[in-house]
Amino acid sequence: MAFDSDSGHLSCPSCGHEENIETFPEQNIERKFGEGEAKEYHCENCGAIILTEAETTATHCSFCGAPVVLADRLTGDLAPAKVIPFTVSKDEAVAAFKKWTRGGRLTPRGFMSGDRIKKMTGMYVPFWLYDIEGEAHIQAIGTQVRTYQSGDTIYTETNFYDVFREIDLSYLKVPADASEKMDDVLMDKLEPYDYSELKDFRMPYLAGYLAEKYDFDDEQLFSRVESKIVPYIDAYISTTISGYSSVSYTNKQIDAQKKKVYYTLFPVWMVYYDFDNKEHTFAMNGQTGKVVGKPPISAGKVALWFTGIAVSSFAVMKAIAFAVGGVLW
Amino acid sequence: MRNFHCKWVWMPVLALLLFFIGGLSVSAQTGDLIHDEAGLLSGEETQELEALAEQYGAEQNVDFLFLTTDNTEGQSIEGYMGDFFDDRADSTGREDAVLLTIDIGGREVYLAGFGTAERTLDSERVDLVLDQIIPEMQSGDYADAFEETVVTSSEYMEYRPGVNPESIFLKTWFHLAIALLLAGIIVGSMLYNAGGRVTTTPGTYVDRDHTRVRSQDDRFRNKTVTRSKIPKNKDGGGFGGGGGMTGGGRSFSGGGRSF
Repeated sequence: MAFDSDSGHLSCPSCGHEENIETFPEQNIERKFGEGEAKEYHCENCGAIILTEAETTATHCSFCGAPVVLADRLTGDLAPAKVIPFTVSKDEAVAAFKKWTRGGRLTPRGFMSGDRIKKMTGMYVPFWLYDIEGEAHIQAIGTQVRTYQSGDTIYTETNFYDVFREIDLSYLKVPADASEKMDDVLMDKLEPYDYSELKDFRMPYLAGYLAEKYDFDDEQLFSRVESKIVPYIDAYISTTISGYSSVSYTNKQIDAQKKKVYYTLFPVWMVYYDFDNKEHTFAMNGQTGKVVGKPPISAGKVALWFTGIAVSSFAVMKAIAFAVGGVLW
Repeated sequence: MRNFHCKWVWMPVLALLLFFIGGLSVSAQTGDLIHDEAGLLSGEETQELEALAEQYGAEQNVDFLFLTTDNTEGQSIEGYMGDFFDDRADSTGREDAVLLTIDIGGREVYLAGFGTAERTLDSERVDLVLDQIIPEMQSGDYADAFEETVVTSSEYMEYRPGVNPESIFLKTWFHLAIALLLAGIIVGSMLYNAGGRVTTTPGTYVDRDHTRVRSQDDRFRNKTVTRSKIPKNKDGGGFGGGGGMTGGGRSFSGGGRSF
């Protein structure tokens, strides 16, 4: 049986039997190997030996194609707390990707047909979600500038204020991808996910997809998540200081600690696309269908857009100048 | 033979036509555009400027007049040039003119627009032209100053009345720069976003119930005041801006400067 993204249940492709994952009895999931045992897995379907990388937690049998979940890699410290199941099925992912290629205004013509998908892989990527709590102590000098005229003199009056702020900060479930293989920039662009569909982790969600376990633990990744939220905090701080024509910070002290972490699996479709004898990799948010990745760029189209915009805006400005001034040059 | 004959028949007609056209333009501009009473120009310069003024005058349908004097006979330069223009207009019947007057005795210059030129070369434009010729006035290149007046005024008179012809928004280089900048920004952002955009905002993960300002204080500290004088009018000093009325009742746009 494999996970069905439309119903959100386990379903058997042969007989159509469905099982609700939330109520699926835990003892039906076989744990064949305990921790520390030989890392050799057998396909339950055909008995073939399954070869995987050390991080893989869910895959397909390379002989019969049956979905395999490597349960011992998902228990103990390695057990995910939460999961967002796939809501974009493979067919929908293909359609969404093709639609996305058509929207590429700078991509070469051949790329836009979107019919050279080499491989699509549905993958659960490990993320750490951080609940972050903190406080900020801010000291700044704000100025208010007023100009007025008296006689033939212009007066510029600048008032200086000492500004103090004590701010409580709280951010919930800020994600950072914990897989070494995945490009951080790419994964960041896949955000945001809809957390209303965040479910407690059950192993059957993984059936039929690839899944990996984390390479970095929550301690190692905290600095990355910190660097992610500092701009958010700065933006919030500046909204709390208003009414000044300029603000210069003399002291900005931000303390942020993680209050809670959740090991979570996010659904990602990886799309491998052949174009011009080169493989391009794209990632699609398996929940929202958002596509990210560097498409090939057509220099001709870039030049065309540039000259098009430049010439037409020049013509528009000239037309306005002519209408107003009555002279073309 | 027959062809030849035909040509001969047409010749007098053609000659008559040429005479007519030539005669018309001669009667329009009778070679009295330059009145160099102070003797600031050489004979050659006078001829050149006369030709220039005639050419541009025909294009703009006005007379470009140049009057120099070393003595305004006790009048203001405006009054002196007003009397001059009244006399000329009364005798020639030509009311549309741009008149540059130089009083070398008082070291003053006045530029005026009469008739249609009162609108097409209004006092703001006069001021712009004066800005450009003042350096030449100061260095004594009076021929150049008049040439500049004719060329620049003609250029300004092409623009719709009331528009500032030196406005940056009417400059071609400005249009070009904005067009290139706009195209660069748009295509640049298209390139930058080709790989997918970041759609998370500072508000995406914030916990609004627990993110708040616990305490705040804004305390007045001190104030500074800087003073700056409003700059006085341009060097040399301007006068007579806005134009006026001649003794003969002709209104004009204009402005003057000392140099």
